[in-house]
Amino acid sequence: MASSTPSALIPSQARSKNLRACLLCSIIQTPVDFRRNGCPNCEELMQMKGSPDRIQACTTTHFDGTIAVVDPEKSWVARWQRTNKYVRGVYAITVKGRIPEDVEQELEAQGIKYRPRDQTEVD
Amino acid sequence: MSDIEEERYEGTGFAPTTEDEEEREEQGGTHHDRGRKYSKQRPRREDEEDEDEDDEDDDEDEDEDDDDEDDEDVEGVGRGSKRQKRRHKRAAVNRFLDVEAEVNEDEDEEEEDEEYGGDEFIAEPEGEGDDEEGVRRTVHHARLDRRDRELNDQDLARIAEDVSQRYKRSAVRYTGDMNEVPQRLLMPSVQDANLWQVRCKPGRERDLVFSLMRKSLDLEFSNRPLQILSAFERDSLPGIIYVEARSQKQVSEACNGLVGIYPSRGVTLVPIDEMASLLLIKKQETTVNPGNWVRIKRGKYQGDLAQVVDITENGEEVGLKFIPRIDLNPKDDVVIDGKKRKKTGQAVSTGVRPPQRFFNYEEVVKVYGRKMVSKRNQAYIFQNDTYKDGFIEKDFKLSGIVTENVNPTLDEITRFARGNQEGEGMENAVDLSLIAEASRKAAIAVLQPGDHVEVFEGEQAGVHGVVESIALDIVTVNPVGAFDLEGQKVQVPARSVRKRFKPGDHVKVMSGKNADESGLVVSVSGNIVTFLSDMSMLEVSVFSKDLREAAEVGSGTNIVGNYELHDLVQLDNQTVGVIFKTERDSFRVLDQNGQVRLVQPHQISMRRDSNRAIATDAEGYELRVGDNMKENDGEGRKGRILHVHQSFFAFLHNREILENGGVFVTRARSLVSLAPKGNIIRPGTDLSKMNPALSGGAVTGGMVGSGMGRGPRDRLIGVLVTVIKGPQKGYIGTIKDTNGPIARVELNTNNKVITIEKERLYRRNKDGKLEPLEGGRDSMGPPRGGFSDGGFGSSGGRTPNPYAPSGGAGWGGGRTPNPYVVGGGKTPAWGSSKTPNSYAEGGKTPFHTSSQTPNPYAQDGGRTPGWGSSARTPNPYTAPSKGAAGAGWGGATPGWGGATPKPTSSSWNDSSSAPSNNGWASPGPPASGGWGESNWSAATPAFGAPTPASAPTPGGPGYGSTVYNAQTPAGMFTNRADMPRRLQPHIHHMNGRGRQHSIG
Repeated sequence: MASSTPSALIPSQARSKNLRACLLCSIIQTPVDFRRNGCPNCEELMQMKGSPDRIQACTTTHFDGTIAVVDPEKSWVARWQRTNKYVRGVYAITVKGRIPEDVEQELEAQGIKYRPRDQTEVD
Repeated sequence: MSDIEEERYEGTGFAPTTEDEEEREEQGGTHHDRGRKYSKQRPRREDEEDEDEDDEDDDEDEDEDDDDEDDEDVEGVGRGSKRQKRRHKRAAVNRFLDVEAEVNEDEDEEEEDEEYGGDEFIAEPEGEGDDEEGVRRTVHHARLDRRDRELNDQDLARIAEDVSQRYKRSAVRYTGDMNEVPQRLLMPSVQDANLWQVRCKPGRERDLVFSLMRKSLDLEFSNRPLQILSAFERDSLPGIIYVEARSQKQVSEACNGLVGIYPSRGVTLVPIDEMASLLLIKKQETTVNPGNWVRIKRGKYQGDLAQVVDITENGEEVGLKFIPRIDLNPKDDVVIDGKKRKKTGQAVSTGVRPPQRFFNYEEVVKVYGRKMVSKRNQAYIFQNDTYKDGFIEKDFKLSGIVTENVNPTLDEITRFARGNQEGEGMENAVDLSLIAEASRKAAIAVLQPGDHVEVFEGEQAGVHGVVESIALDIVTVNPVGAFDLEGQKVQVPARSVRKRFKPGDHVKVMSGKNADESGLVVSVSGNIVTFLSDMSMLEVSVFSKDLREAAEVGSGTNIVGNYELHDLVQLDNQTVGVIFKTERDSFRVLDQNGQVRLVQPHQISMRRDSNRAIATDAEGYELRVGDNMKENDGEGRKGRILHVHQSFFAFLHNREILENGGVFVTRARSLVSLAPKGNIIRPGTDLSKMNPALSGGAVTGGMVGSGMGRGPRDRLIGVLVTVIKGPQKGYIGTIKDTNGPIARVELNTNNKVITIEKERLYRRNKDGKLEPLEGGRDSMGPPRGGFSDGGFGSSGGRTPNPYAPSGGAGWGGGRTPNPYVVGGGKTPAWGSSKTPNSYAEGGKTPFHTSSQTPNPYAQDGGRTPGWGSSARTPNPYTAPSKGAAGAGWGGATPGWGGATPKPTSSSWNDSSSAPSNNGWASPGPPASGGWGESNWSAATPAFGAPTPASAPTPGGPGYGSTVYNAQTPAGMFTNRADMPRRLQPHIHHMNGRGRQHSIG
């Protein structure tokens, strides 16, 4: 049932070549949405809003697999992907690439371990 | 829709974003109740639009949109989707849904939106609608008030929470993916919802996932929201999406109505332990590193080799360096008009593309003009591309290049190397070690236990020995010749060893250009081995890694191009030849004149097939490919025939002959068979052997001597028939083939061949009369009864009645076998059909044919044994026919067997009280020696006995034997004369072509 979780903008063109996935939270959006609204989950860190350069650096078109997360709280898929605390929306399963170093440092400063979403590290 | 439902809906409704909204929403709930009461959703909404504030709505909607966007921008909250924001916003202004606007905004969700609109309307009604609400609320006023109160009182806490939540959302904190929990603890448990695999149209997986997402958002506030928790798709699993839900039904509901999804093909549960692996599938990705070789997938440089120079941070683009293809002969307008250039440039690229050529400033300037090319420290810029050291350096998307199986050839790489030398010198020399590395890896694959290797680097350098085993890339070597190491095994990396050869070794090339060459090693230097090829007698140098010791003298494969050893090939119009030796890229061919030629595959115009060619040998036999023959003149060479050319030349092969690989050519006429053959009946052939009658009635007897390869031909073949039934009724055609009760008939009318039951066919006689196709046979079949029963009736007409008075002519025509012969259905029609020939006049009759026919009597033998033996006996009936030339008799012999037969014993009995049976039986078997007259005489007595009647018979002179005269077919005739009328109605006989006409 309707959850109170907000949801991200769902790109209208699923096959669009320029869908981009956030390197940190793996959400998939169009570059336009990233520019307008930033990343719905990690804008605080990424600060992509209004900054195409940041978007280029912090998101990628190289992702594999898409997940429609309808109910993040209850979904095991979301939990497995560690997106269960994020907004509803479409996420990538794997994302190639790493976040920029400054973001990584920031994360470190906050005591958060960065996990690349390219499945290179399995634990 | 009940109130209860409404309430539930309201209660669980979306979270309002502000306090105001919250309130309004709650009011909305009531409004919505009221609204719903009117009717179903859609009609209701339309009503309201009409009645209410159409204009206002529109205007405000626009404003709202603007607000909306501003708002979002300002707020910078990534959270809610735009639509959702809208939703709230709308709620805030207490607007009714404007369907049109909604449609415009989200075209692809029109449908859901409308639905949603209905819901929203339901959820929305709020403050601003006061007046109108005042009007509307009349009915439910009390209730609304109550609810208002209720909510205000009771939900303050929740409102507060919502507020805080909203605030929180606007500044989502990144909390690090639940870092503390390792993923293995996130494995699914039984409490988790299941994953369901749903088939879908390949290529639509992602669309479907997105659709499911949108659908679930759209239906979120409907009364039938989707129950699924998530859905995902993997690129590596085409045609499949996975949906996370608690039950299969929920999945089906979610999938319902989506295009390209096939829930009917099964919604299958994914076992819990496989769930995680679905998400862990790793895409097989090749990482690209600077220095790697890649190929360009598309465009002007399609297929060109390029080297990776650098890679962008996110790995999406790579900088490549490759040899440019600049058009140095551009069309004029290209030069003149800078803008046009691009277009035409592209056009050119699709057509003939310019050759690869290093960038040369002077050349380019000469063609394109100085201002087209600018120089920027060390690099030239030309047409927006950067050229450095002669190479073009360009960024490509990762998807636009091939990174696997690049296999750069040495050619390409040396070109690169050359370019580098011409350019800035060797500083950037192509890293040949990369290739060396690759080939060394290949070398490991080439290494085998038993190979003699030598360690050429590392501690053990210089040691050589025999490979004992290979484990991955570690080779265990059993050293040879090094005393201190004798007996110990040495383990070395495979890359540090190379095969060792010494002069005198016989080696074979395993791979590369010279693959399959073999030869004797003449010198070894480093890892290059030179050997003398067995085939070409030339020295060949190859890397030792490509070699292997081999005893075989390989011409390797016998196939070059499309041609194979021992193929008959056409060299020019007049010349054909047989390949007797294949070399690496050429053949040695022996042509029909005995000349040996060296030809390249391209000099061969075609391969010829002589499988069916036939020629005659010295003795008149036919000879075929594959026969073993011997020359009867000259050298008397023996050999197996490989090919026959123009029925005159025969190419033979004998591996004992050294010359020309054992292939030689000779005239077919000078060959004799090594194996006896029976294709031709030659004088002196022992006909008795062919005579089935003599061979104890063996059915095959007739065939033995005949050499007739295939089964007897159905005599129906070739018969002109008319279709009497079915769609083709009335059509005339010719039987082409028969198979049991089915015949294939070529229609005269349209040249079509139809398959049709024989019973639908009637024979068409020359005179246009029709008669049953098989009737003749059938009716004659049972001539057992003697003459009665229309054996003579000849209604079947195939068989000319031998008794026909027409005399010689009748006999001659004789397709026919004696009708009597046919022992019911049993006797092969063949026998009878062929036999006739014997009656044919003298010399004409093809002996062969007659001889071929299995003697029907023989088959019948079981029943009337007498017949078998008597088979030889000349047919008494023939006697009367003067036309039957003596010669005919002689030649016909075997035929006689068939022909003679005569009526069943009973008939004899009837006709002649004489000892018919005995008489027949007694017949002296004709001498095996041939159809000597004596035979006849021998046979005769039998006849004599039965036929006391007239002894008219003029034996043909050929018959010579007196005995013959004695025979009295006359008896038969008499009989016939006596026959009841019905029995001798029309007597048919056939003419030579099998047509028949009534003479009756």
